Amino acid sequence: MSFELRVDAERWRRGLRALTESTPGIVPVIKGNGYGFGRDLLAAEAADLGVGSIAVGTYAEVPGALKAFAGDVMVLSPWRPFDGDVVYDKRLIHTLGRVDDIAALAADHADSRVIIEGETSMARHGFDRHELAAAVEALGDLKVEGFAIHLPMTGHNLAEAESWAAALAASQVETTTFFVSHLTPDELATIRERRPHLDVRPRIGTTLWLGDLGALSVRATVLDRHQLARGERVGYRQRSMPRDGHLLIIAGGTSHGIGLEAPKASAGAIQRGKSLAKGGLEAAGFSLSPFTIDGKQRWFAEPPHMQASMVFLPASAAVPEVGDTVEVAVRFTTATFDAVVLA
Amino acid sequence: MTSTLAVRSISTPEHLDFVRSRSSVSFLQTPAWATVKNEWRGESIGWFRGETLVGAALVLYRQLPKLQRYLAYIPEGPDIDWHGGDLADWLTPMAAHLKSQGAFGIRMGPPVVVRRWNSTTIKAAIADPVLTSLSDVPADVSDDAALDLRQSLKKLGWKELDASGGFTAGQPKFNFQIPLADRSEDDVLAGMNQLWRRNIKKAAKLGVEVTTGTKPDLPAFHEVYAETAVRDHFTPRPLSYFERMWDALNAEESDRLVLYLAHHEGDLVASTTMVRVGLHAWYSYGASTTAKREVRGSNAIQWQMIRDAMAAGATIYDMRGITETIDPDDSHAGLIQFKVGTGGEAVEYLGEWDLPLNRALYLGFTTYMRSRG
Repeated sequence: MSFELRVDAERWRRGLRALTESTPGIVPVIKGNGYGFGRDLLAAEAADLGVGSIAVGTYAEVPGALKAFAGDVMVLSPWRPFDGDVVYDKRLIHTLGRVDDIAALAADHADSRVIIEGETSMARHGFDRHELAAAVEALGDLKVEGFAIHLPMTGHNLAEAESWAAALAASQVETTTFFVSHLTPDELATIRERRPHLDVRPRIGTTLWLGDLGALSVRATVLDRHQLARGERVGYRQRSMPRDGHLLIIAGGTSHGIGLEAPKASAGAIQRGKSLAKGGLEAAGFSLSPFTIDGKQRWFAEPPHMQASMVFLPASAAVPEVGDTVEVAVRFTTATFDAVVLA
Repeated sequence: MTSTLAVRSISTPEHLDFVRSRSSVSFLQTPAWATVKNEWRGESIGWFRGETLVGAALVLYRQLPKLQRYLAYIPEGPDIDWHGGDLADWLTPMAAHLKSQGAFGIRMGPPVVVRRWNSTTIKAAIADPVLTSLSDVPADVSDDAALDLRQSLKKLGWKELDASGGFTAGQPKFNFQIPLADRSEDDVLAGMNQLWRRNIKKAAKLGVEVTTGTKPDLPAFHEVYAETAVRDHFTPRPLSYFERMWDALNAEESDRLVLYLAHHEGDLVASTTMVRVGLHAWYSYGASTTAKREVRGSNAIQWQMIRDAMAAGATIYDMRGITETIDPDDSHAGLIQFKVGTGGEAVEYLGEWDLPLNRALYLGFTTYMRSRG
């Protein structure tokens, strides 16, 4: 039984190379589930791309990254003194966002390499610009590898990025390396042109690894199928089926990241009325599944199980054979595949 | 919880004694300032712990038209221990006292510096087109304890006045100061930019002479000051204002207000006043003629004031307000550029704060002030 990611390796790698070549200084971000590919696979790809450093999300991800990648590894989550799984390594670069943290790290691991992060309109982590002087004062022997900002994804980030670049120049932080995220190629080009003394280094995850979705397909194996008559009751919940058709048991359940949203009831009378008028299965309280069969996204017969899903297929549709695969739409950052096949 | 401090009216001599016991307070907080601001009613108040005077303020009462109710204004004060424990302990009895005097609201300007920018930083920021306001520029020093006062004041019901857009509110939030403590004349001179040093030298070489004057010299100062007002488009104060200031401030301490005159070949080319309270010296009013600008009377007169401030033991030479803008396209930016050349630093104060005591009257007052724009 399999729920797998198939990658057109040549096409996918062509995209990776194109973006890497057109984005000097790129730092591939490899975090979480590795965007569906798995972090180790991406680390190996990053090495093949010839980049000198990668970024991971958390300290828990560091040991694997150090093993899978020979260059520098930076951690996006700020270092905290209470973090239980902090790792120290010559190839590791920590992110710092509080004066107290700088002092604490400088006291215990004075030779660490660090990045200072500014607090942007994201309001997640980092220093207020007026704290930068105090931050510099606390540095001691820590080695500053750069200044980082994490911008929102709204797309109009140039002004904020430039304001931080200017703030960096007017601050006492002694670095010209400027790590940014979520800037478009045009915005990157503009900021490079306006700030020629800065070494702008974009940290890119999604756009790199999932930049060419056409090279990726997710296939789920049909594990079983049963012919159904209208009114027949099936599944854990013994719901009655609204029409004649087939019940398909397909690989892929909650453990793969399928159906993380609970099947939703119709919101209000109007919405319900519309559903009824359309005669869709939503009117009966069914939810749309991410499985596409015979050209259409089909409805769940009941909420997905842990490793498989039950999908209702009306009699009018062509039925796949057991062992056939069907296409699935997934959110790659929350999906877990049984296999990643590069072909 | 009741305050451990009591606030009551104090006499002018009591107030003056307290001012003298302090290393420095704003000259707007000296009892003499009430005499200068004679269109306002002035009151000296003191904070007492038991029988000991531990804080003081000069309160200026501004009357609401047709009503026996006042805005109590404490410019660049009160002079209390801002970091000494519970702020409510200090401010609650003050509010009660001022309310009993007929105040419908209180306005004050805590003399607390929250941030500093040195001249190197400001110079870099002015040169950067993206940075248009000091707030956008990383401060070289931020005082966390002072910044925390902002939260404390808000919790106590005080409202910060909007100081954006220049000098519209009362006293300026951003000021420019040259630190003098533990520095020699050579140190200060070395901290200035080349232009300033060159201009100071040039003025000396051309024979500009800077002297201090006496009260009879005030009309000469005022003539140049009026000329400056026309050139720089501001409304000049009448000569009588300066005469009153002279009498009041110098009655308090003989050298509190000093008049400076810069002459070139017998012509008065620049004239200024300097005020000093304890260790703090302020360049308060300045004027220069349009003719003979090339002899650099302004630079010569500033340098003399700085040296005299140092000789008198001052630790801060205060060039007073700047606007927050560092945008070269803004007309105010020239002012900060002139001041930055001295190698000093920009300081941000906590700003001015209001406490409404009578909501309806306070609202009416603020609406009226806004309408005056």
